[in-house]
Amino acid sequence: MKPVVEVSHLSKRFRLPLDKSTTLKYRVTHWRSASRYRDLNALHDVSFDIPAGQFLGIAGPNGCGKSTLLKILCRIYEASSGTAVVNGEFSAFLELGVGFNPELTARENIYLGGAMLGLTRAQLHDKIDEVLAFAELEDFAEQKLKNFSSGMQVRLAFTVAILARTDLLIMDEVLAVGDASFQEKCFETFNKYKREGKTIVLVSHDLNSLEEYCDRVLLLNKGEVIADGPAAEVTAAYHRMIADHAMATAQDLPVAHTLGDLSRSGSQAVQIMSVGLLDGNSQPSRRFETGDPLILTVDLLAHRDVGDFVCGVALRRSDGVLVAGTNTFLDHVTVPSNPPGGIISIRYTIDSLPLLSGGYTVQIAVEDTTGKTTYDHAHPAASFHVESVGGHIGLLEIHGGWQVERKDDVAADGAVTART
Amino acid sequence: MTVVAQGRGHLEPITRPKSISQRNLNLVRELSITQFKLKYTGSALGYVWSLVKPAMLFGIMYLVFSVLLSAGGKSPEFPVQLLFGIVLWTFFAESTTLAMNAIAGSSDLIRKAYFPRWILVVSSTGSALLTFAINTLLVVVVTLLLGQLHLSWVSLLVPLYIIELAALVLGLSLLLSALFVFFRDLGHIWEILSLVLFYGSAVVFPLGRLHGALLSIAGLNPIAQIIQDIRHCLIDRPGVDSMATLIGPLVIIPILATVAIFILGYAVFNRLTPKFAEAL
Repeated sequence: MKPVVEVSHLSKRFRLPLDKSTTLKYRVTHWRSASRYRDLNALHDVSFDIPAGQFLGIAGPNGCGKSTLLKILCRIYEASSGTAVVNGEFSAFLELGVGFNPELTARENIYLGGAMLGLTRAQLHDKIDEVLAFAELEDFAEQKLKNFSSGMQVRLAFTVAILARTDLLIMDEVLAVGDASFQEKCFETFNKYKREGKTIVLVSHDLNSLEEYCDRVLLLNKGEVIADGPAAEVTAAYHRMIADHAMATAQDLPVAHTLGDLSRSGSQAVQIMSVGLLDGNSQPSRRFETGDPLILTVDLLAHRDVGDFVCGVALRRSDGVLVAGTNTFLDHVTVPSNPPGGIISIRYTIDSLPLLSGGYTVQIAVEDTTGKTTYDHAHPAASFHVESVGGHIGLLEIHGGWQVERKDDVAADGAVTART
Repeated sequence: MTVVAQGRGHLEPITRPKSISQRNLNLVRELSITQFKLKYTGSALGYVWSLVKPAMLFGIMYLVFSVLLSAGGKSPEFPVQLLFGIVLWTFFAESTTLAMNAIAGSSDLIRKAYFPRWILVVSSTGSALLTFAINTLLVVVVTLLLGQLHLSWVSLLVPLYIIELAALVLGLSLLLSALFVFFRDLGHIWEILSLVLFYGSAVVFPLGRLHGALLSIAGLNPIAQIIQDIRHCLIDRPGVDSMATLIGPLVIIPILATVAIFILGYAVFNRLTPKFAEAL
């Protein structure tokens, strides 16, 4: 029997442009610099088959290429070389509720979401009551999706997602969105599919689920298959790998040259690509005078959609004393990671540098909005020197105002009261 | 167990139709209708808005060009010509502008779901066609009741010209939507080009007012030819000549240009399709 999925010598190379060439004007005025991009080898020579009826899990650290592999299977990305063939009908859940519109009613969204899967209005029309019943939304059929609770939305999305009969189910961490009982419902459905002899591909971080449900697990690292076998064996190998090289596996992507030798940490889902310091004329500089403008530039690369995230900066004196720090969250600035893959350029402008003479370093941190997960952290990310001419002493230049008045009637000895 | 986990009943999956084109057509229809619906829900006057804009444009243009500048000369048919010109132009301008964002504005869909990408562009044109069809019907009925239409056998050719217009719009939409993903200043460029086309397409004056080389140049523009020929089909009067009468055998050029634009748009779109998901 023919395998459901045949992947042979599959490679995928992303070309990440280093400049923002998204305008015709730029193309016309910079026609000579057409080749400024960085290659990212997301997948390298991956080969495997999936026989019918197998439940295959794909695991690996962030940036290992598993999502890329899935997107190539779903024909969203094109392979750079090699082939990936799916024999038969497939349903892909890269995200629940793709194509749903919050302004439409539940009924209208079922027609739309069903059409995305390839089902016709007539087919859906006959089933609509059954679908609404399964999603437990009979009483809300004519309500707009935007008025639904998130639980109702997930139920509707999941019900629509499993509507089409399919030979192969491709899923990317859909399970992450629901609570424990929703995940249970997902696995119930997977089990049903399994009993019916369907083939399932599941990408997940959750090694326990993979071990429990999958027949076979593929472990990817740096775009290559490093283990392929029975679920228990591969997940055990992965656990060992994590323990052995916790840091090494996290930093599985090349770091931009400017930051190559730094102490780095974090999951690298969003990566600091480069950090620069500019003076008031937007020229790179490492020497500033007190009161000068200083512009800190940070280029970030989101490898995947992690929602909105936070970029923080801190300035430290050369001896490590924390002088000042803030982040985009505190300053009510939103930094979206969506769409992933592009360079996010952040500028932090200090109109007038309050620091006095000395050497300073810049610390950059990229975290999620709760501050619990660090995506990338670099210190020192840059360093600079400040000279001051005013003769102030200490760490910061303070801008007080002096007032002097003479109160002859108070003190006969001519004491002067100084106030700020 | 919470509510989420208790699906009631049993849901038997539906087998998709065998024919891929049936699935695609169904998706085009769903997306077109959805877009059309969304455009007009949420505002109190709803669909009326799609009439207000061309009506305002007609009022202003009529005042400026017909009353103040007497662009229509002595032609009593000029106001109706102007009306048709504006309805056709509004469709052309709105559908191309809308289509520009059809791919770039659906980055979520493109990166998370697979279906042929042209469906997004065709649906965008489809929803613009729906508005256009209703506007046209209204204008035809009103002008017919006012006795301003002069129908004849050539009126039967109107559907052919509408097909030409749809092909032109679709070709341009494919081209613009694909290029816009990579060149975001195309929006501004197209806005300026549209303005040039607007005045070059004799929307606000009878094409017959142009002479010699100017007429030939304007006549080579497919949108001018389509507008003029549809006017001729519906107002069969001297002074409202068909493009063939005005520029002779050269009329083949705008028709060929439409075909060429369609092929170019299709080819460029096909070529760039695999790069959409990565570029967005």
